[in-house]
Amino acid sequence: MLSILIQKELKGIILSPRFTAIFAICSVLMLLSVYIGINEYSESVKQYETTQQFIDQQMLEEVNWVHVENIAQRKPNPLQIFVGGINYDLGRMSEIGNDIPVKLKNPHYSDNPIYAVFRIIDFAFIVKFILTLLAILFTYNAINGERERGTLQLVFSNSIPKAKYLLAKCAGSWLGLVIPLTIPLLLCFLMVMVFKTPLTASNWAEIMMIIFASLLLFTFFIVLGVLISTLTRRSNISFLISLIVWVVLVLIVPRAGVLVAGQLVPVPRIAEIEGQRDAFAKDRWVRFNFDAEKRWREHGTPSCGAAQDDEQAWGWIQQEDSARKEIEKEIESFDTRLREDLRRRKAARISLANILARFSPASAYQLAAMAIAGTDIFLETRYEDSMNAYRTQFIDYVEKQAAEAGPGGGHIMISMSSEDGFSLQTGADPGAIDISGLPQYVAPVSHITDTIAPAVVDLGLLIIYTLFAFAGAFISFLKYNIR
Amino acid sequence: MLKVIIEKEIREIIGSLKFAITFGACAALIILSFYMGAKNYEISRTQYEAAKAANMRQLEGLTDWFEVRQHRIFLPPQPLASLVTGVANDIGRTIEVQGRGELTADDSRFSDDLIYAVFRFLDLDFIFGFILSLFAILLGYNLISGEKEQGTLRLAFAGAVPRHKFILGKLIGAMIALVLPLLIALSIGCLLLIIMGMPMVSGDWIRLTLIILTGLLYAGVFLTLSVFISAITQKSSDTFLLLLVIWIFGVLIVPRASVLLAGRAVDVPSVDEISFQKNRLSSQLWQEDKAKMPGFKPENSSDPEKMVEEFNRFMEDLADQREQKTREFAERLNEDKYNRQKKQQDLAFALARLSPSTSMTLAATSLAGTSMDLKNRYQAEAMDYQQAYGKFIKEKTGINPGGRMIMVKMTMDDAEKPEPINPYELPQFEYKPIAFAESFHSALSDIGLLVLYNLVFFAGAFLAFNRYDLR
Repeated sequence: MLSILIQKELKGIILSPRFTAIFAICSVLMLLSVYIGINEYSESVKQYETTQQFIDQQMLEEVNWVHVENIAQRKPNPLQIFVGGINYDLGRMSEIGNDIPVKLKNPHYSDNPIYAVFRIIDFAFIVKFILTLLAILFTYNAINGERERGTLQLVFSNSIPKAKYLLAKCAGSWLGLVIPLTIPLLLCFLMVMVFKTPLTASNWAEIMMIIFASLLLFTFFIVLGVLISTLTRRSNISFLISLIVWVVLVLIVPRAGVLVAGQLVPVPRIAEIEGQRDAFAKDRWVRFNFDAEKRWREHGTPSCGAAQDDEQAWGWIQQEDSARKEIEKEIESFDTRLREDLRRRKAARISLANILARFSPASAYQLAAMAIAGTDIFLETRYEDSMNAYRTQFIDYVEKQAAEAGPGGGHIMISMSSEDGFSLQTGADPGAIDISGLPQYVAPVSHITDTIAPAVVDLGLLIIYTLFAFAGAFISFLKYNIR
Repeated sequence: MLKVIIEKEIREIIGSLKFAITFGACAALIILSFYMGAKNYEISRTQYEAAKAANMRQLEGLTDWFEVRQHRIFLPPQPLASLVTGVANDIGRTIEVQGRGELTADDSRFSDDLIYAVFRFLDLDFIFGFILSLFAILLGYNLISGEKEQGTLRLAFAGAVPRHKFILGKLIGAMIALVLPLLIALSIGCLLLIIMGMPMVSGDWIRLTLIILTGLLYAGVFLTLSVFISAITQKSSDTFLLLLVIWIFGVLIVPRASVLLAGRAVDVPSVDEISFQKNRLSSQLWQEDKAKMPGFKPENSSDPEKMVEEFNRFMEDLADQREQKTREFAERLNEDKYNRQKKQQDLAFALARLSPSTSMTLAATSLAGTSMDLKNRYQAEAMDYQQAYGKFIKEKTGINPGGRMIMVKMTMDDAEKPEPINPYELPQFEYKPIAFAESFHSALSDIGLLVLYNLVFFAGAFLAFNRYDLR
C-alpha cells in the first residue's frame, strides 16, 4: 500500500513541468557554484604558493638575526569549495616577529573588493536559499491541492490510514526531489576530481556530512510545506504562507539574532585594543628611556654614550638589551591580556547570536556546514593559536641565533664626543645569515573527528525540527476535512 | 476607458489576499532593514569613537613630538553605508600613518567582527535585489494568463475594448499598485531613520531618494517582464516557472559568472606580489644607505647639539631620496595594477549588466558611496592627510620621520620635566565622501539602463498582447 502511494506521488512529481524546470535550475546552480568554488580554490592555492616564494626569498636576504621577521599564511582548504563560510573575510596571513602580535591581515574580499560586490555563491548558499525555496514550492499544496482537485476524497474512499497517506506524501515528495539531485551532485564530485582537487579521505567524509546536513535541511522544508498545506484549505493561501515562513526562517531570524547579540554584547574594535596597547607601551618606554639616560649619565659619559673601549661598550649594550627585554615582556603580557579579553567577549557574543539564530533550521544548517568544512568563525582562533605557538618557537630560535652571532652585522653604533667628533660605525656586513635551521610554520590540519564535534548540536537540531514538523503535519492531517 | 481599466486593475490587485500577504512581508522586510541599518550605524559609530579616543590617549603623556609613532586614522561610518552596504564592510578602515611611506588599510568590518560575515546584513541592495523582484514577479505573473484561466479576459473583450488600451491600462495599473504601497513602506522606513536619530544631511536624503527610485525602477523591470512573459504563455503556472528561471539566472548567475569570466580574461597582479616588490626595493635602498652612513662627517664638531641636528638632517636627506625612488617605483606598480583592475572591473560589469540586478546594485552603491571607488577614495584621502601630517611633524620637530630612519635626540641634564604634548594639535583626519555630482554621474548610466529595460519589456508586453489568443 505504502509503496503504491509513494509511486503515485513520484510519478505525479516527475511528470509535472515544474519538476523539469526546477531540476534544471538546481543542476545548473549546483554545478556553477562548485565550478566557481574550484576556480576560487585553485586561485587561492596559486596565490598561497607564490606568496610563500616571496616570503622565502625575503628570508634569504636577511643579514641580521636581530631583525628577522617571518610571515605565516593560512593554507587554502579544499572544503571551501563547498562551504565558503568566513574563509574570504578572514585575513590570510600574519607577520611573525618579536614585538609584532599575531594578527591575520589581508582578507581576500579586502584585497579584491570586486568579489564582495557580487559575493561568491557556494554549495551551502544554493542549498540554504534555493533548494529550500524549491522544496517549499513543491509541497505547499501537497494536501490542500489534492483536496481542491477532488482527488483527496477519492483516495480516502478506499480504506487508507491517514498516517500512511501522509507518510507516503512526504516520502514520495522527498524521493521525487532528492533522487534527481543525485545526478548533478555526482557531476559535482566528478568536476572536483577532474580538476585534481587534493581531497583526503577525511575531506571526503566531511563532504558526505555536508551533503547529509543539506539533505536534512531540504527534508525539513519538504515536511514544512506539507505541514502548511494541512493547515490551510486553499492552496493559494498556503503558497503565500509558505513564502512568508521561508522569508522569516531563512532571511530574518539568522540576521535578527546577530543584530540582537551585537546590541547586547558590545565588543570593541581591534583598533581600540591596539590603541590601548600602544598607550601602555608608550608609557613603559618613556619611563625606560628616562631611566636609561640616567644610567648612561652614571657611566660618566655624554648622553649619547661613548665607550672607553669596545668590550665595555658591548657590556653596557647587553645590559640595555636585557632591560629592554623586560619591558617588551611586560608589554607583551598586557597585550595578551587585552586580546584574551577581546576573545572572551567575542565568544560570548557568538554564543548568544547562535542561540538566537538557531530558532531557524536554516541557521542550524549553516553553522553545521561551516563547522564541518572548517570555515566557521573559530577558524580565526584556531589559526591565531597555531601562529602564536609558532611565534614563540620562532622568537626563541632567533634570539638564540642572535646571541650566538654576537655583535654581528647590521649593528649600528653612534658615538659623539667633543674631542673625537661624530662617529658612526656599522658592524661588518657578514652577508646573508644561514636560515636553514629556522623553524617553518605548519598550518593546522583538521580531521573529520575534530570538525564533526561542534556540528553535532546543529545536526541534532535539524533532526528535531524535522520530526516536530512531521508530528505537526501528522496531527493536523488527522483532523483535516478531506472533502 | 483607459482610466476605468487602470482603476479596475489597481483595485483588483490591492484587494487581493496575495497582495496583502506579499506586500506585508515586503514592507516588514523593508522597515526591518531600515531599523537594522540604523542600529548597525549606532554600533559602528560607538566603535569608531572609541577607537579614535584610544588613539588619542596613546599620544597623551608623550613629551616630544619626536616620539609620536603609531598614529591611526579611521574611515568614519557613513549613514547611507548602513542602508546600502556595498563594499563598505569589506575594505580596511584603519590606517597607521607615518609622515612618509606607503599606507595600507587594515581591519575591515567583516574581518574584525567575523560574526557579521556569517549572517550578512539585510540591506536595501539585498531587499531590492532579491525580495522586491520576487514580489514584482508574484504580482505580475498572472496578470494576463491568470485572467485567461479565470475566463475574465474573454469577458472583458466581449465589449468593444481596444487591445492596446487594455494592456496599457493593465501595465499602468499594475505599476501604480506596486509602486504606491512600496513608497508608503519606504517612507515609514525613512521616518524610522529620523526617529532613531540617524545623522542624515540634505545630500544624504537626496541620495536616498534616488536609491529608492532606482529600487522602484528595478521592481518595474520585473513587473513589466512578468506581464510580458504572461502575455506569451497560456498557463499562469508556466509563466511563474519561466519567470523563476529567469530570476535565478538574472539575479544569481549572470553577475557572478561575469566576475568569474572577467577574472579569467584579465590578469591582475596580486596585492602580495606588489607589496613584496616594494619591500624588496625598500630593503635594497636601505642597505645602500647604511653603507653611506659611516661617511657622515659633521661640519661643526664642537657643539654636540649642532652635531645631532646635522646628523638628523643627513638622515632625513637620505630618507627623502629613498622615498622618492620608492614612490616612483610604487606609483608605477600601483598604476599598472589600477589599470588592469579597471579593465577587469569594466569587463565584469559590462557582462553583468545583462542582468538588471547588476544595474540596480551598481547604481545604488554609487549613490550610497559604497561602490568599488570607496577603497581608492579612502586611500587617496589618507595620502592627502599624510602630507598634512608630515608637514605638521616637521614643523614641530624639524624633520619628517618615517620609513626606516634613524634619529638621534639630544637630552640635556635639565632639572625641569618637559611638558607633555597636546595631541589635539595634530591635524584631524576628515573624510570627505564622494561628491553628489560624481556619484550621480556614475549611477546615471545604470539608472538609464533600468529605464531602458522597463521600456523594452513594456513594449514587448504591448506587442505580445496584440497577438494573444484571448479565448
